[in-house]
Amino acid sequence: MIPHAPILAIVLPLFAAFLMPVVGILARRRGIKRAREWFAIAAVLVELVIVVSMLPVVWGEQILVYQLGGWQPPWGINLAIDGLNLFVAVIVAGISALVVIYSFVCMERDTGLDQYYTLLFLILAGMMGVALTGDIFNLYVFFEIMCISSYALVAFRRKWQSIEASIKYLIVSSLGTSFILLGIALLYGMVGSLNIAHLAQKLPLEPTSAIIVPLALFVTGFGIKIAMVPLHMWQPDAYQAAPSAVAALFSGATATIGIYAMVRVVYTLFGAFAIGIMLAALGLVTMVLGALMALTQRDLKRLLAYSCISQIGYVLLGIGLGTVLGVQGGLFHLFNNAIYKTMLFMIAGAIIYRVGTSNMDRLGGLWKNMPVTAMLFGVGALAISGVPPFNGFASKWTIYVAGIEAGQPVFTIIALIMSALTLAYFLKALNSIFLGQRPTHLKNVKETPLFMLFPIVLLAALCVIFGVLPQLGIDIVRPAQEALMNSGGYISAVLGGA
Amino acid sequence: MDFNYIIAMLLVALGLYCLLLKRNLIKIIIGLAVLTDGIHLFLISLGYRAGGIAAIVSGEMLSDLSGFAARAVDPIPQALVLTSIVINICIVAFALSLAIYSYRHYGTLDPSKLRRLKE
Repeated sequence: MIPHAPILAIVLPLFAAFLMPVVGILARRRGIKRAREWFAIAAVLVELVIVVSMLPVVWGEQILVYQLGGWQPPWGINLAIDGLNLFVAVIVAGISALVVIYSFVCMERDTGLDQYYTLLFLILAGMMGVALTGDIFNLYVFFEIMCISSYALVAFRRKWQSIEASIKYLIVSSLGTSFILLGIALLYGMVGSLNIAHLAQKLPLEPTSAIIVPLALFVTGFGIKIAMVPLHMWQPDAYQAAPSAVAALFSGATATIGIYAMVRVVYTLFGAFAIGIMLAALGLVTMVLGALMALTQRDLKRLLAYSCISQIGYVLLGIGLGTVLGVQGGLFHLFNNAIYKTMLFMIAGAIIYRVGTSNMDRLGGLWKNMPVTAMLFGVGALAISGVPPFNGFASKWTIYVAGIEAGQPVFTIIALIMSALTLAYFLKALNSIFLGQRPTHLKNVKETPLFMLFPIVLLAALCVIFGVLPQLGIDIVRPAQEALMNSGGYISAVLGGA
Repeated sequence: MDFNYIIAMLLVALGLYCLLLKRNLIKIIIGLAVLTDGIHLFLISLGYRAGGIAAIVSGEMLSDLSGFAARAVDPIPQALVLTSIVINICIVAFALSLAIYSYRHYGTLDPSKLRRLKE
């Protein structure tokens, strides 16, 4: 492990974010082309190395506790990293690295790229902070950093679409974050601590009726961030209007962080495994509604956004079941969803880059122009629908089996039907974009640029690898699942038996 | 006595009412600010102590730490509120700038009219 890796993982993107305009100005003075982009890629790769360097320690059954300023918890702020934290951090760092590489070409026609990269790195810093911190107020602050930067990135192009989407997103999401703040205030009033482990230790002594209000506030707040169904209305607009690279980052990384915050607070902090069944039921509704809405969409990015809602439903279902297999399946699906949803958004971005629209009515027959992209889209579509031998099958299968084992065969049946629906709307998308009649004005469309294709190919390869070797995926997920189910271990590791 | 808690919850309720029922972006943003200010009042009241002293340990306090702890106000809520105020300023400023842009694009501040994306 790199010394001080936990704090470096948060500080590095924060510094990189504010160095970005400086690099931009210097590069313009010296006439160096693309210095800013290369700097961003270098920074994000270093970040990935830092995060991955923590893997061996944490996988060795150890919980990393990094005390800021040397203050003992529960007095000081600490970063506590167990299997779950690191699992999420690796997803976030990996997806961000690919998105930054992808932005190199995808965003080259936009102006104001200094601000774009600054905001991108601020989101990364926020996500890392949420993923690694062991302090609930710290989590809130980093969550806000992430949210505010994402409102700004949705509005980045300042066209009417982006403004409309951003303002909806901002109002709904700030309502959610203020609920989280109120929840934290109530917890502090009850227990007088902000350390997650300390709170988790003290909360069982409080009466249940008092705990239920902050729990409801937290579930609502994080539910808005992950677009759980009654709270999902901002999400399709935001994903459709955001630049494709940003939408890819949101669907892969930000949604993962939302799920992480939700399960960390509900399962570790409150120890509320009993409301898991409610999460599973909400997940079911989310899955059904997302899939049904996706069927009727004509815009590719909007379709992907609804399908993102639907896939998050699977994750919630698996995690909500609360059994070992269910949590494993849910987290594995979270991992897979980050892989193929990012990839599909990148493909949508590639189509927009080459054709200029993502409206499926105006596309068609593109496989002659972009055979590689068409094939990759096919891989993504099959993976997300849970067709073997791709990774979606492995995680969905785990969730199905977990549903039956937990005595909820109805959940499994509905999940299976939704899987078929997923295949239906992705085949529809595949058909109307890459097959069928090609409009004459699309005759000269070229294949996706190589630099843009590289992250997509990498993600597609991961889809196949985890599909052929599902055991490898389960091995990656197991430390996270064990950490999630073992809140006692987390508490004693952070508080050191105090 | 517990007046500030009642006021805080009233502010939260008022803010929520504004956010959910008003049909003007500016009023919605004001509602958001009022809502968070209610939460801030709630937080700061948690640490309040009538006649308390600032929680700064100086020379003569060191000899009487338990007496100091009995008289000092809780500093943590103040730190939290300070942080949260800064965050809230960012959100309100950003929301207002978005409201300006949306007025330029749509000619209205009615959020229910901002629905071109759905078509």
